[in-house]
Amino acid sequence: MSAEFLKALTANRLGEGDVVFWSGGQWVEQFADAELFTEEGPAEAAVALAKAQPRIVVDAYLIDVTRSDQGVAPVSYRERLRALGPTNELGHGKQALGGAAIAALQAASGAARSTGRLDLIRRK
Amino acid sequence: MSTLIKYTANGATEIENSFVHVVDGEPVPQGADIIVSLGRIKAEGEALLASGVRVGVQIEPAEAVEDLAELLPRLALVAVAFPKFRDGRAYTSATLLRQRLGFNGEVRAVGDVLREQAYVMTRCGIDAFVPADGSSAAEWSRAAGHFRHVYQTAADGRTPAYAEPGRR
Amino acid sequence: MYRYDAIDKEFLTDRSNEFRHQVGRRLAGELSEDQFKPLRLMNGLYLQLHAYMLRVCIPYGTLNVAQVRRLAWIARTYDKGYGHFTTRQNIQFHWVKLRDAPDILDALAEVDLHAIQTSGNCIRNTTSDPRAGATAEEIDDPRVWSEAIRQWSTLHPEFSYLPRKFKIAVTASAKDRTAARVHDIGLALRQGRDGTLGFEVMVGGGMGRTPFIGQTIKEFLPATRLLSYLEAVLRVYNRAGRRDNIYKARIKILVSSLGAEEFGRQVEEEWAQIDAARADLPDTELARIRAAFIQPGLEVLPAVSDSYEAARGANPALARFARNNVSAHKAPGYAIVDVSLKAHDATPGDANSDQLEAIADLAERFSLGDIRVTHEQNLVLPHVKQSDLPALFEGLVAVGLATPNINLVSDIIACPGLDYCALANARAIPVAQSIAQRFLDADRAELVGELKIKISGCINACGHHHVGHIGILGVDKKGEEYYQLTLGGSGAEDASIGKILGPGLNADQVAPAVDRLVEVYLAERQGEERFLDTYRRIGMTPFKEAVYVDAH
Repeated sequence: MSAEFLKALTANRLGEGDVVFWSGGQWVEQFADAELFTEEGPAEAAVALAKAQPRIVVDAYLIDVTRSDQGVAPVSYRERLRALGPTNELGHGKQALGGAAIAALQAASGAARSTGRLDLIRRK
Repeated sequence: MSTLIKYTANGATEIENSFVHVVDGEPVPQGADIIVSLGRIKAEGEALLASGVRVGVQIEPAEAVEDLAELLPRLALVAVAFPKFRDGRAYTSATLLRQRLGFNGEVRAVGDVLREQAYVMTRCGIDAFVPADGSSAAEWSRAAGHFRHVYQTAADGRTPAYAEPGRR
Repeated sequence: MYRYDAIDKEFLTDRSNEFRHQVGRRLAGELSEDQFKPLRLMNGLYLQLHAYMLRVCIPYGTLNVAQVRRLAWIARTYDKGYGHFTTRQNIQFHWVKLRDAPDILDALAEVDLHAIQTSGNCIRNTTSDPRAGATAEEIDDPRVWSEAIRQWSTLHPEFSYLPRKFKIAVTASAKDRTAARVHDIGLALRQGRDGTLGFEVMVGGGMGRTPFIGQTIKEFLPATRLLSYLEAVLRVYNRAGRRDNIYKARIKILVSSLGAEEFGRQVEEEWAQIDAARADLPDTELARIRAAFIQPGLEVLPAVSDSYEAARGANPALARFARNNVSAHKAPGYAIVDVSLKAHDATPGDANSDQLEAIADLAERFSLGDIRVTHEQNLVLPHVKQSDLPALFEGLVAVGLATPNINLVSDIIACPGLDYCALANARAIPVAQSIAQRFLDADRAELVGELKIKISGCINACGHHHVGHIGILGVDKKGEEYYQLTLGGSGAEDASIGKILGPGLNADQVAPAVDRLVEVYLAERQGEERFLDTYRRIGMTPFKEAVYVDAH
């Protein structure tokens, strides 16, 4: 595992609750459009700017991002769900938009799922 | 001096707060009305009460308001402390002061005192407020009197819904 | 059914206006998020993963036709066309905007609904029996007392900022359908030797990370003294409950640390000092509330409907539905119908707007306009003529609500989990769906019989996993979802906390593991034993061995 610093800044819009991502001083709807921070200084500076917008967003925080063959995706499963939408209703949330960027994120999301690694169950 | 909102049946008014909060261990200022801790009133009560100034006691959330029972007739006010607005123990302290201990003097809310809690505070018999959010008396009055009906008896003596003439 | 009068309606209007004002102040920047959050929570508005979630109170799980229609309209107008019924007999909307919330509360208030105290450290909606007023088992109508508690607890000034949330359940039947023993206070109606009504008072039950079964602190509280006694319990808790650690702030921790006996003694001491004339409800008010629950419109019918018997004989699907979803009503010729929200491909507890409207229409035609919500995330039509059952069944089939699986393996409780909830560690819904998929064979499910599976996506236990016959708890293990299984829990009158089966399983392993557990049960059971009974008789080992095959 490389220890590369790779983060994005996310929040929810105050009035609507929608998940948004920071991109060069703007809030954007899709993770694919999020600004990726490779250094701590600019990332923390963006957090400070976001926290100065209490009438626009709630709860701004940095998330860890990972690079793989499929592209970039949030590391945690929770953040992938925020970037996509619920897995029980594929027509709801950001995933409803479809397209290559969403498909890539879904593929990355699938890769993060547990795949029976522990093999605890075997037939008698 | 801080602003104090007094709340009566006629609504809220802003008045000058004449009381000085005396920190434990500090000397008592001459001639000023004072608010002291429960510990201090227990230790120095007779001397303080004999000094001719008006004396109030501040009750912290973890303290038992019943400990004041005997002194209450000689106290000008009891301040109930809200270190955080989420700490609701002072509501029980205020309720017991009014309902059980029969205290008719001022019950004053101090600390993290916000307009959003005006309704529950007044219902528990608190009638003076040192707001932490800069609320005016008019704003306080509106917040406290927002509900036309109440569902249960409380220290403010308002008629609960079940006893309103319109109920049946 | 209790009808709101002008006083109740004005109260809701005032509350709705107050919240509109507060939302306005927040959007204008006059209130910080820290100041606003507890205010929105006290109006049921959470910020979840994808949006705001609004939890609407359904007092003791009772709805009328107009209310269900309004919920359908709200789902369609302000959400994505569905609502989610919760394990607390409430409904929540998962895609709400803060800007819309005041309008939604106004729309709710028009049909006497609200979101008061569906969150926050206050007294929450009272849980009660979804069969109240319809079952012959009850010794009194628990809705009478639930309504008294609703009024007493609404914006209670002394108990609005408790150490933590507070949940009360009222049950009146030997069969407990309220999970009373895992509530902060469980109230079980009892009849005294002289015929008077009273409550057995159980305190300190609860789930979360430290589950407890409630303990009885009073065997027989005269029913008319209920409110003063509740005041005493709440006062002792408000003063002495811990406020330094959110995980130790529930009353169960206080009761456990003091001991039930000492806690009960402190309550008695406090109770003795309360002026009963002020605190207890006058008999006239109790009589007024009681009168509201007298059920009009029940006809005198023969005990058996020949047309229904004939239809059941001719239609195996109806017969299966009748075996699993229909039970006895106190009035001859009537039945209580459970409507499952656990179709095999559905999200447990979800109902879309079309289904809600269909339920409202069917309740209007066939159930005296009465609809109930169960804490097991299903609905109940409590007053159905047997002769109407075939038509009702067809109506339910038409909207996908005739799943004949009440209390069976696929009737699974599941919280929204990580798909929606900001607190969750793992998803719950897909796990429930994978288990339901595995038990698609309805004959096999009936053969297995009563088996309560309950899934929570985190230790807060909204999915009641501690009291599942099979409980499933989602955990996060290094960013992956894992599931810990427990066996032997029960939330009913034989309440118990489940015990951990073994190491956590990944998502794909849960349904096969449940299958193995069921196979052990089928091989071992004696007579009429339920899964739970067999587990209690033979213990953990055979189940554990079947799921975890060691490579020795």
